[in-house]
Amino acid sequence: MSAQGDCEFLVKRARELVTDDPWAAKAWLITARTLYPADFNIQYEMYTIERNAERTASAGRLLYDMFVNFPDQPAVWREITVITAALRSDCQDKHAQFLRGLFETLPGRVQCEMLLKATEQCFNTLEKAEMLLLLLRRFPESVVQHGVSLGETLLDAESIEDLESPVNCFRKLFVCDVLPLIINNPDMRLPASLLYKYMHKAAEFYIGYVTRGPSADSALQGTQEGVGLKSPGGLRGSQRYVIDGLTEKSSLVSEPWERLLDILAIVGARCEWQGDKGSRSYVEILQRMKELCHYLPSLEGGDTFLLPQPALFSLRSSRPTTPPEQCPWIMLEDLASVYSEAELERGSNKHAHKKRKLADGREKTMSSDDEDVSGKGRGRHILVSKAEMPGWADMLDSFRTARESWDLLHSHEALETEFNRICASWKTDSWLWLRIFLTDMIIYQGQYRKALSSLHQLASFQPPQQLASCHYALGEYRLACEKVLEVVGGLVPQAPSPGKTSEEVTRTRTKFGKGADLRLLPCTSKTIMPFCLQLLLACFKLRAFTENRDDLALGHVIVLLQHDWPQGEALFLKTVDKICQQGSFQYENFFNYVTNIDMLEEFAYLRTTEGGKVQLELLPNQGILIKNPSPALGLVSQEFNTLLLPGVQSADRHHTVTRGITKGVKEDFRLAMERQVSRCGENLLTVLHRFCINEKIILVQSLP
Amino acid sequence: MSDIRHSLLRRDALSAAKEVLYHLDIYFSSQLQNTAVPVVDKGTIELVEEFIFHVPKDRNVQPKRMNSLQELQLLEIMCSYFQEQSKDAVRQIIFSALFSPQGNKADDNRMAMLGKLVSMAVAVCRVPILECAASWLQRSHAIYCVRLAKVLVDDYCSLVPGSVQTLQQIFSASPRFCCQFITAVTALYDLSSEDLIPPFDLLEMVVTWIFDDPRLTLITFLNTPISANLPLGCLDLTPLLGLVRWCVKSPLAYKRNIKPSLSNGHMGKLPREMPDSEGGDRDSKPLYSKLHLSVLQVLMMLQAHLTEKNLFGRLGLLLFENVAQLVEELARLVSELNPLNATKETELSLDRLAQALQVAMAAGALLCAREDLRSLCSRLPHNNLLQLVMSGPVQQPPHSPYQPGFYPHIHTPPLGYPPRPASAAHSTLPTHTAHPAHNTHSPHPTQTFLPGMNFPYRPIR
Repeated sequence: MSAQGDCEFLVKRARELVTDDPWAAKAWLITARTLYPADFNIQYEMYTIERNAERTASAGRLLYDMFVNFPDQPAVWREITVITAALRSDCQDKHAQFLRGLFETLPGRVQCEMLLKATEQCFNTLEKAEMLLLLLRRFPESVVQHGVSLGETLLDAESIEDLESPVNCFRKLFVCDVLPLIINNPDMRLPASLLYKYMHKAAEFYIGYVTRGPSADSALQGTQEGVGLKSPGGLRGSQRYVIDGLTEKSSLVSEPWERLLDILAIVGARCEWQGDKGSRSYVEILQRMKELCHYLPSLEGGDTFLLPQPALFSLRSSRPTTPPEQCPWIMLEDLASVYSEAELERGSNKHAHKKRKLADGREKTMSSDDEDVSGKGRGRHILVSKAEMPGWADMLDSFRTARESWDLLHSHEALETEFNRICASWKTDSWLWLRIFLTDMIIYQGQYRKALSSLHQLASFQPPQQLASCHYALGEYRLACEKVLEVVGGLVPQAPSPGKTSEEVTRTRTKFGKGADLRLLPCTSKTIMPFCLQLLLACFKLRAFTENRDDLALGHVIVLLQHDWPQGEALFLKTVDKICQQGSFQYENFFNYVTNIDMLEEFAYLRTTEGGKVQLELLPNQGILIKNPSPALGLVSQEFNTLLLPGVQSADRHHTVTRGITKGVKEDFRLAMERQVSRCGENLLTVLHRFCINEKIILVQSLP
Repeated sequence: MSDIRHSLLRRDALSAAKEVLYHLDIYFSSQLQNTAVPVVDKGTIELVEEFIFHVPKDRNVQPKRMNSLQELQLLEIMCSYFQEQSKDAVRQIIFSALFSPQGNKADDNRMAMLGKLVSMAVAVCRVPILECAASWLQRSHAIYCVRLAKVLVDDYCSLVPGSVQTLQQIFSASPRFCCQFITAVTALYDLSSEDLIPPFDLLEMVVTWIFDDPRLTLITFLNTPISANLPLGCLDLTPLLGLVRWCVKSPLAYKRNIKPSLSNGHMGKLPREMPDSEGGDRDSKPLYSKLHLSVLQVLMMLQAHLTEKNLFGRLGLLLFENVAQLVEELARLVSELNPLNATKETELSLDRLAQALQVAMAAGALLCAREDLRSLCSRLPHNNLLQLVMSGPVQQPPHSPYQPGFYPHIHTPPLGYPPRPASAAHSTLPTHTAHPAHNTHSPHPTQTFLPGMNFPYRPIR
């Protein structure tokens, strides 16, 4: 009998027995192995029995023996391939877990060897890299030998495959998986130039990842997606995004900014320019960079190269990550003081001053812009409602840090050059969050003209209320008004909130904050509508109280003052004073939009003798009759029916020709008043919303 | 000594026995302070025999006898004594003084008392007594060991159904005792007759013990200095031969004992039925199959131990004469049965014999040449595997790195293994001789292949 015949006989007997009497089968194989220790099939059969029974320890032991004694057997390699595949996959089924457990039972040295050999057998770069990564993760000592070369392989693969975007599978593997292993390994000696290269690669990837749009290429060219798109810093991470060549799960990079910052901190520590490794807050990085800038002329080229990157990342902090369900925050003029009379004086003076300068055409030395620039925004306060933004203090700190970073980047020529170079190569123009930050910053600096052009570039991505706010700050009320009405047109009126706590918080802050004139608002209907109404009020307030009589503006002011009543009570009394002085007041929309009971009462009183017998022309037909006494228009019996139907007014509406008798008018007024009182319970925001929509043209036209 | 005797004679049986124990304690404690190996002198033995086992010294003295209650009280006193005496050496010498067979008429009483004491120790799990009993089983002649084993089997495997659980649990308390107990029961039940087939409960317990931890069978061997001269006629160092006998003979022995009427219609099947009263329908076949596998695994482990102790090829744990005797017994069994009625059983028995012989030779447990086997097994019917084992493997090509018949890797730690855990396991070995308080798993070298065992290394995470 030949040796092979013997072995076949022994294995055959074992196979026959394995289902009925597995112990006997094993006994046969143990015997067989002592007879023919060099026979592979006997051991493979032993392994198969243990593996099929999923007995981890004994299967592992046998695999170990096979790996050591029969390293060239294809069956061994098949097993190893299956096991390493299970290691790489995230499959959770029982068999995959068994295979992983099996691998764990092997001695470290064998695991290491097995992975290395398995790696050698891979021809696909990505697969090979994943395999090697398994090795590096398990055996930190192997990083010294293989880490850098794996990195180079991945970076080479990227250029060989001619991948344009830095967000590709090779870069992902390198930056997220390999790089941390390399730079965190204390035994690695890495030249600074290599670290800078890695830093740069990592930054490209993470920034590319963060700013990747749904339309992949440019965030600015992306389609409008509502508020989500306006979110600075790409909270589009919540969307499914698969990097070509990777699974959806491994395509997901959580907290990219944090990770980038980690790498920055480690690289910083390794280059010994960042001091303590543990400190990695933006503020501290900035502080460190400031110190470094003192020595800038003596710094080596590499450091000059590196500096702008962290500075740039610290800009990022201007917009702390907001959860995706939240809306973006925008920086606007603070208009909460619009109800105060004092503001009236100050505001009008300021803008009169500006206007004068504008008229002079001295653009360069013009206006508040330069004044504020010189002050670097010092003293400007940014208000945030604590209730709306729990982390408001951090947010403001971050904004300051970012501003300082920006200044720092532009404080040295070398830095600026390098920074511009990086910006160009990273196409920072298309980074929405950076653009938004820059816009916020120039708004903060009071350079509204610049801000406007920036906002126009941002186009659909930035809410028009910011444009409106800038126009307002520049005294361009008509444009401001146009933009605001555009915003209101897109809003849905909300039910008024019962307690206006958030408003009150802001208001108390306003009183104490001396130069408080900016605020951060979340982009929701709830907060934007009040802002729009305040901005409209601010525009018309100035016009209403000029020397010249402007009943229309005064009327608009009264309508707008209803909001947040009795905030504007003082201002309302001022309008009443003005009406009394004029002795008459004409505002045909009065009964359409004024539902405030206090105001209605006041106007009813004005008509009385005690009230000064002010001649009020508040009904549409009255005004037109007086102003425009053409008998050719309208029909006889229309009366007030149209009055109470909102949205049907126009400049030339029908009216009753034969009216005009004082007594009749009085009766109409009384009836209208009575009806109006019954409207007091209407949703004020709906009324004001209607006002903005229906009277859009009149509103815009009545501003210069 | 005679002073003591006189004072003892005046006492009642129980208090005299207590007094003897007290005397022994003081006597041996002081002896142990002067000499490492105290001698149990004749006077002491006589004292023990007269006052504890109540064998009259001279015909004039009426022997005092203890009633059952007094005897129970004495057993309790002994139990507590061994439990509380903290010095292992004192315990051992006193146990020896009390229970070492002397080859006289006192031995019957002595054995009866020992049986009751050990049985009681099993019931209440008195580890010191079990350890002493383990030593006793090592030193005493096999005849006495078998008697003690029989008492325990009767108490725990035959009398009360289910009480085997109590015995089974001492596995964790005193593995050393278990090992010796297995050796004793395999010596007792040699399957030579119907009466000498192990009761099912006993078999199941032994198989469970060994299958759970095959190293159990090697404990005595590993803890005994090789140079020690074993007392004549004592039990083997391991139960391996007895276990091999069980596995090899069981198919035919059970077949022989089955009643012809029952085998009708069950051709081709091994007898499932036990002739014993307590296990009529329980199938012992898989138990023997498991046991056989465990035996082979133990033999493989043995190779590592022998190599490690530099004894490979120098110490045969299975003596050739014993194996020859086993083959003889098997041949007789085969001829007793009509071979045509027991083809399957014969085949199984011979397969197991061949496997045990081959693995034992490969492991260095059986030192003989294949030619010796050929002449030995010539009386047996033909069997393919046995033929293969007798002729040996076909020589491997010369370039093969392997030595024929010897498997290098699985039993010796391969080079480059992380050394620490293995050496740590080894370093625990010497402690066995000093104080054999074993955990179930840890104290043995773990580099051998065992199902369900961990490797002696930890994967690096």
